[in-house]
Amino acid sequence: MISPVKVWRHQKEIAFLLGKKGKIISWTLIRVPPAGYERETPYPVVLVELEKTKRLVGQLVDWQFKDLKIGKRVKAVYRITRQPDSEGVIPYGIKFKPI
Amino acid sequence: MKVAVLGVGTTKFGELWGVSPRALVREAVKEALIDANLKLADIEALYVGNMLSGILGRQENLGALFAEELGISCPAFKIEGACASGGLAVHNAILSVLAGIYKTVLVIGVEKMTDHKPEEITSALMGAGHDEERAAGITFPGLYAILARAHMEKYKTTEKDLAAVSVKNHYHATLNPKAQFQFEIGLEQVLTSPIVAEPLKLLDCSPTSDGAAAIILSENRKQKTENRKPVFIIASMVATDTLGLAGRRNLTSILATVKAAKKAYQTAGVSPTDIDVAEVHDCFSIAEIIACEDLRFFQKGKAAKEIIKGKTRLGTGRPVVNPSGGLKACGHPVGATGVKQIVEIVTQLRGEAGARQVKKAKIGLAHNVGGSGAVAVIHILKND
Repeated sequence: MISPVKVWRHQKEIAFLLGKKGKIISWTLIRVPPAGYERETPYPVVLVELEKTKRLVGQLVDWQFKDLKIGKRVKAVYRITRQPDSEGVIPYGIKFKPI
Repeated sequence: MKVAVLGVGTTKFGELWGVSPRALVREAVKEALIDANLKLADIEALYVGNMLSGILGRQENLGALFAEELGISCPAFKIEGACASGGLAVHNAILSVLAGIYKTVLVIGVEKMTDHKPEEITSALMGAGHDEERAAGITFPGLYAILARAHMEKYKTTEKDLAAVSVKNHYHATLNPKAQFQFEIGLEQVLTSPIVAEPLKLLDCSPTSDGAAAIILSENRKQKTENRKPVFIIASMVATDTLGLAGRRNLTSILATVKAAKKAYQTAGVSPTDIDVAEVHDCFSIAEIIACEDLRFFQKGKAAKEIIKGKTRLGTGRPVVNPSGGLKACGHPVGATGVKQIVEIVTQLRGEAGARQVKKAKIGLAHNVGGSGAVAVIHILKND
């Protein structure tokens, strides 16, 4: 179960990151996913450096193969991170979008 | 420091559907006791290295469980540190011996993985990852793929270089009757195998495996078995780094390995060029390349080209790296791996490794990593 309390606590950290820009430091394309991510497979996961300070790992959305390269500029966006469970809590989080 | 390894044992590693975790442990311990010429009554404490028993098997209380299974009553502990659980169990057992609390201790590493489907195992292994990495749906192959991509960018390491690690380790495994994959593979086969997390392919990745390994450590420096060289652990060091990759500035090196290795070489009074044989943590092909550089067997950025030339292969290289077949081909029951590495090094230093014997091996090293480099454990062993 995805704990509603955990989701709520996590939300507080997200607002700060929204819209921040950065570039891809390294990336991979996941073809064998963990449980709960089967529907999106394959999907890219990128390590991003935001405004030359904070580094984050997140999925890349709205992507094309030409976006998968080190140095590509991206922006932090708000997305559902995984499929909601029977409790109905929808977990949102940061993903990245090419710019 | 000097702690004697009196006995070693391992089960075969592989997809052992017919064998329970309890049976795996019984087999490995029986072999280690016979090897040491000791009885269960001689064991004063038990250390169990395991990662996934709670998340996959819903059982965490392994210290008491395996003490019960073996029919002994002694202090018993489960030690967890992701894929370094085995190495950490060995480290803790050594500390207890050095502290003079227990004279003779048993260390078990055990993991039962193949009862579960791939998505469950992938998800369970991510229990060792950072929250942010889990939310991103990344996997351990994915984390090492990110490290591989960075290494390829900086040092021009190629996918063929990565493949050469798996090819070598499969060759070594053909000489190890306990290995999961006792057959050779070719470069082309690795390069055309299905992609798991770009640029890592199926044959760049260690398998899911079942298996157990056991060693008996003692302050006693006299081997009860005659006509055999005693083997001693002369350094045992642990270091940690950030849990997630986002916390690291350098993606082409595992800082925990660098730190633990530096202290271990210092404590043992040996240098990287003294190492004759090493078991390193090749959970993915790129991990062995980075390990060979971080352990200073080769200069940074140079290991891949040396490995592909056979410089770590049995018969043509020094140090010989992963004569057991490594995690890739001997198998990787995660909690068992760190203990199995010690078993292999002891076997090599005794001169009992048969077809895969590294000639005149005197000093050996075992390198066990947890997570994507969050924990590293280094042991250095010597045969006199």
